[in-house]
Amino acid sequence: MSDVAANVISSIENLNRNYICALDSLSMQAWLDCFSRRGTYTFIAEENERRGFPIAFMLDDCYERLQDRVTQVDEIQDDSTEHYTTRHFTQLTSIVPLGENTFHANYNFSIYYTQKDNNQTKILCVGRYQDIIAIDQETALFVQRKAVTDTNVLPRYIAYPV
Amino acid sequence: MSATDKTEALLEWPAKYNEVPKAVFEMDELWPKELETIFYGAEWHPIVHRAEIPNPGDYKAAELGEMPIFAVHGEDGAIRVFQNTCTHRGTSLVTESAGNKKEFECPYHRWLFNLEGDLIGCPNSRDFTPGFNKDNFALPQLRTEEFYGLFFVTMSDKTPPLKEYLGESFYEPLSRILGGDGRLKLIGYQKVLYDCNWKAYCDNDGYHAPLLHKAFALLNWQGGKGTQIVTENGHLAFQSELKMSDQVNALKDASIIDFKGTSTSTGSLVLMSFPLTVFSKHMDMLNVRYAFPKGPKGIEVHYAYFSHQDDDEEMVKHRIRQSSNLLGPCGLISMEDAAIFSRIDKGNKTPGNASFQKGVKDEYQLDLQVGQNDESGNLPRWEHYRKRMGFRRASS
Repeated sequence: MSDVAANVISSIENLNRNYICALDSLSMQAWLDCFSRRGTYTFIAEENERRGFPIAFMLDDCYERLQDRVTQVDEIQDDSTEHYTTRHFTQLTSIVPLGENTFHANYNFSIYYTQKDNNQTKILCVGRYQDIIAIDQETALFVQRKAVTDTNVLPRYIAYPV
Repeated sequence: MSATDKTEALLEWPAKYNEVPKAVFEMDELWPKELETIFYGAEWHPIVHRAEIPNPGDYKAAELGEMPIFAVHGEDGAIRVFQNTCTHRGTSLVTESAGNKKEFECPYHRWLFNLEGDLIGCPNSRDFTPGFNKDNFALPQLRTEEFYGLFFVTMSDKTPPLKEYLGESFYEPLSRILGGDGRLKLIGYQKVLYDCNWKAYCDNDGYHAPLLHKAFALLNWQGGKGTQIVTENGHLAFQSELKMSDQVNALKDASIIDFKGTSTSTGSLVLMSFPLTVFSKHMDMLNVRYAFPKGPKGIEVHYAYFSHQDDDEEMVKHRIRQSSNLLGPCGLISMEDAAIFSRIDKGNKTPGNASFQKGVKDEYQLDLQVGQNDESGNLPRWEHYRKRMGFRRASS
Protein backbone atom coordinates (compact mmCIF):
# COMPACT_ATOMS: atom_id res chain seq x y z
CA MET A 1 0.00 0.00 0.00
CA SER A 2 3.11 2.19 0.33
CA ASP A 3 2.99 3.03 -3.40
CA VAL A 4 -0.54 4.47 -3.13
CA ALA A 5 -0.64 8.28 -3.00
CA ALA A 6 -1.59 9.82 0.34
CA ASN A 7 -4.50 11.74 -1.17
CA VAL A 8 -5.92 8.46 -2.53
CA ILE A 9 -5.71 6.81 0.88
CA SER A 10 -7.30 9.87 2.41
CA SER A 11 -10.18 9.85 -0.09
CA ILE A 12 -10.84 6.16 0.50
CA GLU A 13 -10.68 6.53 4.28
CA ASN A 14 -13.05 9.49 4.12
CA LEU A 15 -15.53 7.43 2.13
CA ASN A 16 -15.35 4.54 4.58
CA ARG A 17 -15.77 6.98 7.48
CA ASN A 18 -18.84 8.51 5.84
CA TYR A 19 -20.23 5.02 5.32
CA ILE A 20 -19.88 3.75 8.85
CA CYS A 21 -21.05 7.05 10.34
CA ALA A 22 -24.13 6.88 8.10
CA LEU A 23 -24.98 3.42 9.43
CA ASP A 24 -24.16 4.18 13.05
CA SER A 25 -26.54 7.16 12.89
CA LEU A 26 -28.95 5.15 10.72
CA SER A 27 -29.07 7.80 8.04
CA MET A 28 -29.97 5.72 5.02
CA GLN A 29 -29.80 8.65 2.62
CA ALA A 30 -26.21 9.31 3.73
CA TRP A 31 -25.53 5.57 3.22
CA LEU A 32 -26.90 5.80 -0.32
CA ASP A 33 -24.75 8.87 -0.99
CA CYS A 34 -21.64 6.71 -0.56
CA PHE A 35 -22.40 4.83 -3.78
CA SER A 36 -21.85 5.85 -7.38
CA ARG A 37 -24.73 5.55 -9.85
CA ARG A 38 -23.26 2.21 -10.95
CA GLY A 39 -22.76 1.13 -7.33
CA THR A 40 -23.65 -2.25 -5.83
CA TYR A 41 -23.89 -3.54 -2.27
CA THR A 42 -23.66 -7.18 -1.14
CA PHE A 43 -23.79 -8.68 2.35
CA ILE A 44 -22.88 -12.35 2.11
CA ALA A 45 -21.77 -15.16 4.44
CA GLU A 46 -18.14 -16.26 4.19
CA GLU A 47 -19.35 -19.86 3.83
CA ASN A 48 -21.26 -19.02 0.65
CA GLU A 49 -18.42 -16.90 -0.72
CA ARG A 50 -15.85 -19.64 -0.07
CA ARG A 51 -17.99 -22.41 -1.55
CA GLY A 52 -19.03 -20.38 -4.60
CA PHE A 53 -22.69 -20.02 -3.64
CA PRO A 54 -24.15 -16.67 -4.73
CA ILE A 55 -26.97 -16.37 -2.17
CA ALA A 56 -26.47 -13.28 -0.01
CA PHE A 57 -28.24 -11.79 3.00
CA MET A 58 -28.62 -8.57 0.99
CA LEU A 59 -27.96 -8.22 -2.72
CA ASP A 60 -28.36 -4.75 -4.20
CA ASP A 61 -26.91 -5.22 -7.65
CA CYS A 62 -27.98 -1.91 -9.19
CA TYR A 63 -28.57 1.63 -8.01
CA GLU A 64 -32.35 1.15 -7.97
CA ARG A 65 -31.92 -1.72 -5.53
CA LEU A 66 -29.82 0.54 -3.31
CA GLN A 67 -32.66 3.05 -3.38
CA ASP A 68 -35.11 0.29 -2.50
CA ARG A 69 -32.90 -0.70 0.46
CA VAL A 70 -33.45 2.81 1.80
CA THR A 71 -37.21 2.42 1.33
CA GLN A 72 -37.19 -0.96 3.07
CA VAL A 73 -35.41 0.36 6.15
CA ASP A 74 -37.14 3.74 6.37
CA GLU A 75 -40.70 2.87 5.37
CA ILE A 76 -41.46 -0.85 5.28
CA GLN A 77 -39.94 -2.61 8.28
CA ASP A 78 -40.04 0.17 10.83
CA ASP A 79 -42.90 -0.88 13.11
CA SER A 80 -42.16 -4.58 13.60
CA THR A 81 -38.40 -4.48 14.01
CA GLU A 82 -36.70 -4.67 17.39
CA HIS A 83 -34.44 -1.73 16.64
CA TYR A 84 -30.79 -1.52 17.53
CA THR A 85 -27.91 0.87 17.09
CA THR A 86 -24.55 -0.19 15.73
CA ARG A 87 -20.91 0.76 16.13
CA HIS A 88 -18.75 -0.19 13.15
CA PHE A 89 -15.01 -0.63 13.68
CA THR A 90 -12.93 -0.95 10.54
CA GLN A 91 -9.31 -1.35 9.58
CA LEU A 92 -7.95 -0.66 6.11
CA THR A 93 -5.80 -3.63 5.06
CA SER A 94 -4.99 -3.03 1.39
CA ILE A 95 -5.44 -0.75 -1.60
CA VAL A 96 -4.64 -1.93 -5.12
CA PRO A 97 -4.90 0.47 -8.10
CA LEU A 98 -7.08 -0.87 -10.92
CA GLY A 99 -6.43 2.04 -13.34
CA GLU A 100 -8.57 5.01 -14.41
CA ASN A 101 -8.82 6.34 -10.84
CA THR A 102 -10.39 3.11 -9.63
CA PHE A 103 -9.07 1.14 -6.68
CA HIS A 104 -9.66 -2.17 -4.99
CA ALA A 105 -9.66 -1.71 -1.21
CA ASN A 106 -10.04 -4.21 1.62
CA TYR A 107 -11.13 -3.49 5.17
CA ASN A 108 -11.66 -5.71 8.16
CA PHE A 109 -14.80 -4.91 10.11
CA SER A 110 -16.31 -5.75 13.47
CA ILE A 111 -19.75 -4.48 14.34
CA TYR A 112 -21.32 -4.24 17.78
CA TYR A 113 -25.02 -3.71 18.29
CA THR A 114 -27.01 -2.41 21.21
CA GLN A 115 -30.62 -3.50 21.20
CA LYS A 116 -32.96 -0.75 22.23
CA ASP A 117 -35.35 -2.87 24.28
CA ASN A 118 -32.72 -4.25 26.67
CA ASN A 119 -29.68 -1.97 26.15
CA GLN A 120 -27.36 -4.95 25.96
CA THR A 121 -24.39 -4.80 23.61
CA LYS A 122 -23.22 -7.82 21.62
CA ILE A 123 -21.25 -8.55 18.47
CA LEU A 124 -23.42 -8.42 15.37
CA CYS A 125 -20.85 -9.75 12.91
CA VAL A 126 -17.18 -9.74 11.98
CA GLY A 127 -15.69 -9.90 8.52
CA ARG A 128 -14.17 -7.98 5.65
CA TYR A 129 -15.24 -5.45 3.09
CA GLN A 130 -14.10 -6.02 -0.48
CA ASP A 131 -14.52 -2.68 -2.21
CA ILE A 132 -14.11 -1.19 -5.63
CA ILE A 133 -13.87 2.56 -5.32
CA ALA A 134 -13.85 5.26 -8.00
CA ILE A 135 -12.22 8.61 -7.18
CA ASP A 136 -13.19 11.75 -9.04
CA GLN A 137 -11.37 14.92 -7.96
CA GLU A 138 -10.61 13.46 -4.55
CA THR A 139 -14.22 12.42 -3.95
CA ALA A 140 -14.46 8.66 -3.61
CA LEU A 141 -17.60 6.59 -4.18
CA PHE A 142 -18.27 2.87 -3.98
CA VAL A 143 -18.69 1.06 -7.25
CA GLN A 144 -18.87 -2.07 -5.11
CA ARG A 145 -19.05 -2.61 -1.38
CA LYS A 146 -19.14 -6.30 -0.56
CA ALA A 147 -19.36 -7.22 3.12
CA VAL A 148 -18.28 -10.85 3.62
CA THR A 149 -19.18 -11.93 7.14
CA ASP A 150 -17.18 -14.59 8.98
CA THR A 151 -20.20 -14.81 11.27
CA ASN A 152 -21.94 -17.41 9.12
CA VAL A 153 -24.76 -17.81 11.63
CA LEU A 154 -26.08 -14.34 12.36
CA PRO A 155 -26.90 -13.77 16.05
CA ARG A 156 -30.23 -12.16 15.12
CA TYR A 157 -32.07 -10.94 12.04
CA ILE A 158 -30.31 -7.93 10.58
CA ALA A 159 -32.48 -4.97 9.75
CA TYR A 160 -29.97 -2.55 8.25
CA PRO A 161 -26.98 -2.88 5.91
CA VAL A 162 -23.62 -3.42 7.57
CA MET B 1 -43.70 -40.96 40.06
CA SER B 2 -42.82 -41.93 36.46
CA ALA B 3 -41.28 -39.50 33.94
CA THR B 4 -44.62 -39.22 32.17
CA ASP B 5 -46.40 -38.40 35.40
CA LYS B 6 -43.79 -35.76 36.16
CA THR B 7 -44.34 -34.10 32.77
CA GLU B 8 -48.10 -34.21 33.16
CA ALA B 9 -47.70 -32.49 36.48
CA LEU B 10 -45.69 -29.65 34.94
CA LEU B 11 -48.55 -28.25 32.98
CA GLU B 12 -52.28 -28.64 32.63
CA TRP B 13 -53.61 -27.81 29.19
CA PRO B 14 -56.66 -25.49 29.00
CA ALA B 15 -60.04 -27.05 28.33
CA LYS B 16 -60.58 -24.88 25.28
CA TYR B 17 -58.87 -26.11 22.11
CA ASN B 18 -58.13 -22.55 20.99
CA GLU B 19 -56.02 -21.76 24.05
CA VAL B 20 -52.35 -22.53 24.56
CA PRO B 21 -50.64 -21.94 27.91
CA LYS B 22 -47.98 -19.25 27.51
CA ALA B 23 -45.80 -21.20 29.92
CA VAL B 24 -45.24 -23.80 27.21
CA PHE B 25 -42.83 -21.38 25.53
CA GLU B 26 -40.96 -20.58 28.71
CA MET B 27 -40.57 -23.74 30.79
CA ASP B 28 -37.06 -25.11 30.40
CA GLU B 29 -38.18 -28.30 32.16
CA LEU B 30 -40.15 -29.36 29.07
CA TRP B 31 -37.07 -29.72 26.89
CA PRO B 32 -35.93 -33.22 28.01
CA LYS B 33 -39.41 -34.59 27.36
CA GLU B 34 -39.57 -32.79 23.98
CA LEU B 35 -36.29 -34.43 23.04
CA GLU B 36 -37.56 -37.85 24.03
CA THR B 37 -41.03 -37.74 22.50
CA ILE B 38 -40.60 -35.42 19.51
CA PHE B 39 -37.01 -35.09 18.33
CA TYR B 40 -36.05 -38.68 19.20
CA GLY B 41 -39.62 -39.94 18.87
CA ALA B 42 -41.85 -41.10 16.05
CA GLU B 43 -41.48 -38.05 13.79
CA TRP B 44 -39.58 -37.51 10.51
CA HIS B 45 -37.04 -34.68 10.30
CA PRO B 46 -35.61 -33.41 6.99
CA ILE B 47 -31.83 -33.15 7.12
CA VAL B 48 -30.38 -32.75 3.65
CA HIS B 49 -31.27 -32.58 -0.03
CA ARG B 50 -29.15 -34.52 -2.49
CA ALA B 51 -28.37 -31.18 -4.17
CA GLU B 52 -26.47 -30.12 -1.04
CA ILE B 53 -24.12 -33.12 -1.22
CA PRO B 54 -24.15 -34.00 -4.93
CA ASN B 55 -20.81 -35.84 -5.18
CA PRO B 56 -19.33 -38.94 -3.50
CA GLY B 57 -17.59 -37.87 -0.30
CA ASP B 58 -19.69 -34.74 0.15
CA TYR B 59 -21.03 -34.44 3.66
CA LYS B 60 -23.19 -32.07 5.68
CA ALA B 61 -23.32 -31.81 9.46
CA ALA B 62 -26.58 -31.24 11.30
CA GLU B 63 -28.30 -31.89 14.61
CA LEU B 64 -31.29 -33.91 15.63
CA GLY B 65 -32.40 -32.54 18.98
CA GLU B 66 -29.09 -32.36 20.81
CA MET B 67 -27.51 -35.19 18.87
CA PRO B 68 -24.84 -34.31 16.28
CA ILE B 69 -25.32 -36.15 13.00
CA PHE B 70 -23.98 -35.93 9.47
CA ALA B 71 -25.18 -36.95 6.05
CA VAL B 72 -22.73 -38.46 3.56
CA HIS B 73 -22.90 -39.17 -0.16
CA GLY B 74 -21.34 -42.64 -0.50
CA GLU B 75 -19.19 -44.06 -3.27
CA ASP B 76 -22.22 -46.17 -4.21
CA GLY B 77 -24.37 -43.04 -4.70
CA ALA B 78 -26.46 -43.71 -1.60
CA ILE B 79 -26.93 -41.00 1.01
CA ARG B 80 -26.67 -42.15 4.60
CA VAL B 81 -27.04 -40.27 7.85
CA PHE B 82 -24.80 -41.18 10.79
CA GLN B 83 -24.41 -40.12 14.36
CA ASN B 84 -21.39 -37.84 14.45
CA THR B 85 -19.35 -39.91 16.85
CA CYS B 86 -16.44 -42.31 16.67
CA THR B 87 -17.62 -45.77 17.77
CA HIS B 88 -14.50 -46.11 19.92
CA ARG B 89 -14.54 -43.36 22.54
CA GLY B 90 -17.16 -41.01 21.16
CA THR B 91 -15.04 -38.26 19.62
CA SER B 92 -16.92 -36.23 17.00
CA LEU B 93 -15.77 -37.14 13.49
CA VAL B 94 -16.94 -34.11 11.53
CA THR B 95 -16.15 -30.59 12.71
CA GLU B 96 -17.01 -28.48 9.63
CA SER B 97 -20.59 -27.69 8.58
CA ALA B 98 -19.93 -29.29 5.18
CA GLY B 99 -17.10 -30.60 3.05
CA ASN B 100 -15.77 -33.53 1.07
CA LYS B 101 -13.75 -36.45 2.41
CA LYS B 102 -12.55 -39.79 1.07
CA GLU B 103 -13.01 -41.33 4.51
CA PHE B 104 -13.60 -40.21 8.06
CA GLU B 105 -10.70 -40.53 10.46
CA CYS B 106 -10.95 -39.97 14.18
CA PRO B 107 -7.86 -37.99 15.21
CA TYR B 108 -7.76 -39.44 18.72
CA HIS B 109 -6.71 -43.05 17.98
CA ARG B 110 -6.91 -42.96 14.15
CA TRP B 111 -9.92 -45.19 13.78
CA LEU B 112 -10.93 -44.94 10.15
CA PHE B 113 -14.41 -45.19 8.57
CA ASN B 114 -15.32 -45.33 4.90
CA LEU B 115 -18.11 -43.28 3.31
CA GLU B 116 -20.53 -46.12 3.98
CA GLY B 117 -19.79 -45.96 7.71
CA ASP B 118 -17.80 -49.20 7.95
CA LEU B 119 -14.85 -49.30 10.32
CA ILE B 120 -11.91 -50.04 8.01
CA GLY B 121 -8.96 -49.34 10.27
CA CYS B 122 -8.10 -49.30 13.99
CA PRO B 123 -4.42 -49.31 15.01
CA ASN B 124 -3.09 -52.01 17.38
CA SER B 125 -6.28 -54.06 17.24
CA ARG B 126 -4.34 -57.23 18.14
CA ASP B 127 -4.36 -55.86 21.70
CA PHE B 128 -8.14 -55.31 21.76
CA THR B 129 -10.66 -57.44 23.62
CA PRO B 130 -10.66 -61.11 22.53
CA GLY B 131 -14.01 -60.90 20.78
CA PHE B 132 -13.37 -57.61 18.99
CA ASN B 133 -14.93 -57.50 15.55
CA LYS B 134 -14.77 -54.41 13.32
CA ASP B 135 -18.20 -55.25 11.92
CA ASN B 136 -19.67 -54.38 15.31
CA PHE B 137 -18.16 -50.90 15.25
CA ALA B 138 -19.67 -49.33 12.13
CA LEU B 139 -21.00 -45.79 12.52
CA PRO B 140 -24.51 -45.76 13.99
CA GLN B 141 -26.85 -45.05 11.08
CA LEU B 142 -30.22 -43.37 11.36
CA ARG B 143 -33.35 -44.64 9.68
CA THR B 144 -33.73 -42.60 6.51
CA GLU B 145 -36.33 -42.05 3.79
CA GLU B 146 -36.06 -39.94 0.66
CA PHE B 147 -38.68 -37.78 -1.03
CA TYR B 148 -37.71 -36.04 -4.30
CA GLY B 149 -34.09 -35.94 -3.18
CA LEU B 150 -34.86 -34.68 0.33
CA PHE B 151 -33.71 -37.05 3.08
CA PHE B 152 -35.66 -37.35 6.31
CA VAL B 153 -34.44 -39.16 9.42
CA THR B 154 -36.16 -40.60 12.45
CA MET B 155 -34.88 -42.21 15.64
CA SER B 156 -37.93 -44.41 16.02
CA ASP B 157 -38.76 -47.65 14.24
CA LYS B 158 -42.43 -46.89 14.99
CA THR B 159 -42.58 -43.82 12.73
CA PRO B 160 -44.91 -44.61 9.78
CA PRO B 161 -43.47 -44.65 6.25
CA LEU B 162 -42.68 -41.09 5.15
CA LYS B 163 -45.44 -40.60 2.56
CA GLU B 164 -48.02 -41.97 4.96
CA TYR B 165 -46.66 -39.72 7.70
CA LEU B 166 -46.80 -36.57 5.53
CA GLY B 167 -50.09 -37.35 3.80
CA GLU B 168 -50.94 -36.49 0.19
CA SER B 169 -52.13 -32.97 1.08
CA PHE B 170 -48.57 -32.26 2.18
CA TYR B 171 -46.32 -34.31 -0.03
CA GLU B 172 -47.97 -33.27 -3.30
CA PRO B 173 -47.19 -29.54 -2.84
CA LEU B 174 -43.83 -30.49 -1.33
CA SER B 175 -42.94 -32.21 -4.60
CA ARG B 176 -43.54 -28.89 -6.38
CA ILE B 177 -41.33 -27.00 -3.93
CA LEU B 178 -38.67 -29.58 -4.72
CA GLY B 179 -38.82 -28.60 -8.37
CA GLY B 180 -41.42 -31.16 -9.48
CA ASP B 181 -38.80 -33.87 -9.90
CA GLY B 182 -36.23 -33.23 -7.16
CA ARG B 183 -33.55 -32.18 -9.70
CA LEU B 184 -32.37 -29.17 -7.75
CA LYS B 185 -29.12 -27.28 -7.51
CA LEU B 186 -28.02 -25.62 -4.28
CA ILE B 187 -27.39 -21.87 -4.64
CA GLY B 188 -26.57 -21.10 -1.00
CA TYR B 189 -27.60 -20.65 2.59
CA GLN B 190 -28.65 -17.96 5.00
CA LYS B 191 -28.15 -18.96 8.65
CA VAL B 192 -29.40 -17.17 11.73
CA LEU B 193 -30.12 -17.68 15.41
CA TYR B 194 -33.56 -16.56 16.50
CA ASP B 195 -34.02 -15.60 20.12
CA CYS B 196 -37.05 -17.69 20.98
CA ASN B 197 -38.24 -21.11 22.02
CA TRP B 198 -38.54 -23.46 19.04
CA LYS B 199 -42.34 -23.59 19.38
CA ALA B 200 -42.62 -19.82 18.95
CA TYR B 201 -40.67 -20.14 15.71
CA CYS B 202 -43.11 -22.66 14.26
CA ASP B 203 -46.34 -21.06 15.47
CA ASN B 204 -46.65 -18.73 12.48
CA ASP B 205 -50.18 -18.73 11.06
CA GLY B 206 -52.35 -17.86 8.11
CA TYR B 207 -53.99 -14.89 9.80
CA HIS B 208 -50.95 -12.67 10.15
CA ALA B 209 -49.64 -12.46 6.60
CA PRO B 210 -51.62 -9.53 5.16
CA LEU B 211 -51.60 -7.76 8.54
CA LEU B 212 -47.99 -8.02 9.70
CA HIS B 213 -46.27 -7.77 6.37
CA LYS B 214 -46.32 -4.18 5.26
CA ALA B 215 -44.60 -5.21 2.07
CA PHE B 216 -47.70 -7.17 1.03
CA ALA B 217 -49.76 -3.99 0.98
CA LEU B 218 -47.06 -1.89 -0.66
CA LEU B 219 -46.64 -4.48 -3.38
CA ASN B 220 -50.42 -4.90 -3.83
CA TRP B 221 -50.25 -8.59 -3.01
CA GLN B 222 -53.39 -8.83 -0.96
CA GLY B 223 -56.50 -10.69 -2.04
CA GLY B 224 -55.11 -13.79 -3.72
CA LYS B 225 -57.26 -16.89 -3.35
CA GLY B 226 -55.90 -19.96 -1.64
CA THR B 227 -56.26 -22.85 0.75
CA GLN B 228 -54.86 -24.05 4.02
CA ILE B 229 -54.89 -27.79 4.63
CA VAL B 230 -53.97 -29.20 8.00
CA THR B 231 -53.40 -32.78 9.11
CA GLU B 232 -54.18 -34.44 12.40
CA ASN B 233 -50.47 -34.98 13.07
CA GLY B 234 -49.67 -31.30 12.79
CA HIS B 235 -48.59 -30.58 9.22
CA LEU B 236 -49.82 -27.46 7.42
CA ALA B 237 -49.95 -26.67 3.72
CA PHE B 238 -50.78 -23.20 2.41
CA GLN B 239 -51.34 -22.78 -1.31
CA SER B 240 -52.08 -19.29 -2.55
CA GLU B 241 -52.61 -17.58 -5.83
CA LEU B 242 -50.10 -14.86 -6.53
CA LYS B 243 -52.09 -11.80 -7.31
CA MET B 244 -49.49 -9.71 -9.04
CA SER B 245 -50.07 -6.03 -9.60
CA ASP B 246 -49.36 -4.46 -12.98
CA GLN B 247 -47.77 -1.48 -11.30
CA VAL B 248 -45.70 -1.39 -8.14
CA ASN B 249 -44.87 2.15 -7.12
CA ALA B 250 -43.17 1.27 -3.86
CA LEU B 251 -40.04 -0.11 -5.53
CA LYS B 252 -37.65 1.48 -8.01
CA ASP B 253 -36.64 -1.99 -9.18
CA ALA B 254 -39.82 -4.05 -9.38
CA SER B 255 -38.03 -6.84 -11.26
CA ILE B 256 -37.15 -8.27 -7.86
CA ILE B 257 -40.75 -9.41 -7.48
CA ASP B 258 -41.28 -10.71 -11.00
CA PHE B 259 -42.88 -14.11 -11.19
CA LYS B 260 -41.34 -16.09 -14.03
CA GLY B 261 -43.20 -19.34 -13.36
CA THR B 262 -45.81 -20.61 -15.75
CA SER B 263 -48.92 -20.10 -13.65
CA THR B 264 -49.86 -17.82 -10.80
CA SER B 265 -52.50 -20.23 -9.48
CA THR B 266 -50.04 -21.86 -7.12
CA GLY B 267 -47.41 -19.18 -7.08
CA SER B 268 -47.11 -19.35 -3.33
CA LEU B 269 -46.65 -22.57 -1.38
CA VAL B 270 -45.74 -22.58 2.29
CA LEU B 271 -45.58 -25.89 4.12
CA MET B 272 -44.79 -26.60 7.75
CA SER B 273 -44.08 -30.17 8.76
CA PHE B 274 -44.27 -31.12 12.41
CA PRO B 275 -42.39 -30.28 14.45
CA LEU B 276 -40.59 -27.30 12.93
CA THR B 277 -39.53 -27.37 9.29
CA VAL B 278 -40.80 -24.82 6.77
CA PHE B 279 -40.68 -25.36 3.02
CA SER B 280 -41.65 -22.60 0.63
CA LYS B 281 -41.97 -21.75 -3.02
CA HIS B 282 -42.85 -18.11 -3.04
CA MET B 283 -42.73 -16.65 -6.53
CA ASP B 284 -39.55 -18.22 -7.92
CA MET B 285 -37.78 -18.98 -4.64
CA LEU B 286 -37.32 -22.65 -3.73
CA ASN B 287 -36.50 -22.81 -0.05
CA VAL B 288 -36.11 -25.39 2.73
CA ARG B 289 -35.68 -23.99 6.24
CA TYR B 290 -33.87 -26.54 8.35
CA ALA B 291 -34.29 -25.63 12.00
CA PHE B 292 -32.23 -26.72 15.00
CA PRO B 293 -33.38 -25.85 18.53
CA LYS B 294 -30.54 -24.84 20.83
CA GLY B 295 -32.17 -26.30 23.90
CA PRO B 296 -35.28 -24.63 25.28
CA LYS B 297 -34.07 -21.16 24.25
CA GLY B 298 -32.91 -20.17 20.79
CA ILE B 299 -33.34 -21.79 17.43
CA GLU B 300 -30.86 -21.84 14.60
CA VAL B 301 -32.48 -21.69 11.17
CA HIS B 302 -30.64 -22.58 7.99
CA TYR B 303 -32.45 -21.25 4.93
CA ALA B 304 -31.29 -23.40 2.00
CA TYR B 305 -32.08 -22.04 -1.48
CA PHE B 306 -32.21 -23.97 -4.70
CA SER B 307 -32.47 -23.49 -8.43
CA HIS B 308 -33.61 -26.21 -10.83
CA GLN B 309 -31.13 -28.10 -12.97
CA ASP B 310 -33.03 -27.07 -16.11
CA ASP B 311 -32.99 -23.34 -15.32
CA ASP B 312 -31.28 -21.11 -17.85
CA GLU B 313 -28.76 -18.52 -16.70
CA GLU B 314 -31.34 -15.75 -16.53
CA MET B 315 -33.66 -17.80 -14.31
CA VAL B 316 -30.84 -18.72 -11.93
CA LYS B 317 -29.87 -15.06 -11.64
CA HIS B 318 -33.49 -14.15 -10.96
CA ARG B 319 -33.80 -16.79 -8.24
CA ILE B 320 -30.60 -15.53 -6.62
CA ARG B 321 -31.74 -11.89 -6.63
CA GLN B 322 -35.18 -12.76 -5.31
CA SER B 323 -33.99 -15.20 -2.64
CA SER B 324 -31.27 -12.86 -1.39
CA ASN B 325 -33.60 -9.94 -0.91
CA LEU B 326 -37.07 -11.19 -0.06
CA LEU B 327 -36.64 -14.13 2.35
CA GLY B 328 -34.35 -14.95 5.24
CA PRO B 329 -33.21 -12.99 8.26
CA CYS B 330 -32.80 -9.73 6.32
CA GLY B 331 -35.50 -10.19 3.67
CA LEU B 332 -38.12 -7.67 2.66
CA ILE B 333 -40.91 -10.16 3.41
CA SER B 334 -39.76 -12.54 6.09
CA MET B 335 -37.69 -10.31 8.36
CA GLU B 336 -40.95 -9.19 9.93
CA ASP B 337 -41.67 -12.81 10.88
CA ALA B 338 -38.26 -12.98 12.56
CA ALA B 339 -39.13 -9.93 14.63
CA ILE B 340 -42.36 -11.55 15.77
CA PHE B 341 -40.70 -14.84 16.85
CA SER B 342 -38.64 -12.92 19.34
CA ARG B 343 -41.48 -10.68 20.47
CA ILE B 344 -43.78 -13.66 21.04
CA ASP B 345 -41.14 -15.15 23.25
CA LYS B 346 -40.74 -11.99 25.29
CA GLY B 347 -44.47 -11.38 25.64
CA ASN B 348 -45.21 -14.92 26.71
CA LYS B 349 -43.28 -14.47 29.94
CA THR B 350 -46.62 -13.20 31.25
CA PRO B 351 -49.19 -15.50 32.85
CA GLY B 352 -52.24 -16.98 31.18
CA ASN B 353 -53.05 -18.48 27.83
CA ALA B 354 -52.47 -17.41 24.24
CA SER B 355 -55.84 -17.25 22.54
CA PHE B 356 -56.47 -18.27 18.93
CA GLN B 357 -59.58 -16.68 17.41
CA LYS B 358 -59.52 -16.43 13.64
CA GLY B 359 -61.35 -19.40 12.16
CA VAL B 360 -62.37 -20.99 15.47
CA LYS B 361 -66.03 -22.06 15.28
CA ASP B 362 -66.23 -24.08 18.48
CA GLU B 363 -63.71 -23.59 21.28
CA TYR B 364 -64.32 -27.13 22.53
CA GLN B 365 -63.85 -28.95 19.23
CA LEU B 366 -60.79 -29.48 17.11
CA ASP B 367 -61.63 -28.61 13.52
CA LEU B 368 -59.45 -29.67 10.60
CA GLN B 369 -61.45 -27.53 8.15
CA VAL B 370 -59.75 -24.14 8.05
CA GLY B 371 -59.65 -21.20 5.68
CA GLN B 372 -56.62 -19.73 3.98
CA ASN B 373 -56.21 -16.86 6.44
CA ASP B 374 -57.30 -18.66 9.62
CA GLU B 375 -55.01 -19.08 12.60
CA SER B 376 -57.02 -22.12 13.70
CA GLY B 377 -54.83 -24.21 11.39
CA ASN B 378 -52.19 -24.19 14.13
CA LEU B 379 -54.47 -25.88 16.65
CA PRO B 380 -54.06 -29.46 15.33
CA ARG B 381 -50.29 -28.93 15.71
CA TRP B 382 -50.76 -27.89 19.30
CA GLU B 383 -53.05 -30.84 19.95
CA HIS B 384 -50.48 -33.22 18.45
CA TYR B 385 -47.81 -31.60 20.64
CA ARG B 386 -50.00 -31.89 23.75
CA LYS B 387 -50.59 -35.57 23.13
CA ARG B 388 -46.91 -36.27 22.44
CA MET B 389 -46.03 -34.54 25.72
CA GLY B 390 -48.75 -36.26 27.67
CA PHE B 391 -50.32 -33.10 29.11
CA ARG B 392 -53.76 -33.62 30.55
CA ARG B 393 -56.45 -31.32 29.15
CA ALA B 394 -58.54 -29.66 31.84
CA SER B 395 -62.18 -30.62 31.93
CA SER B 396 -64.58 -28.03 30.55
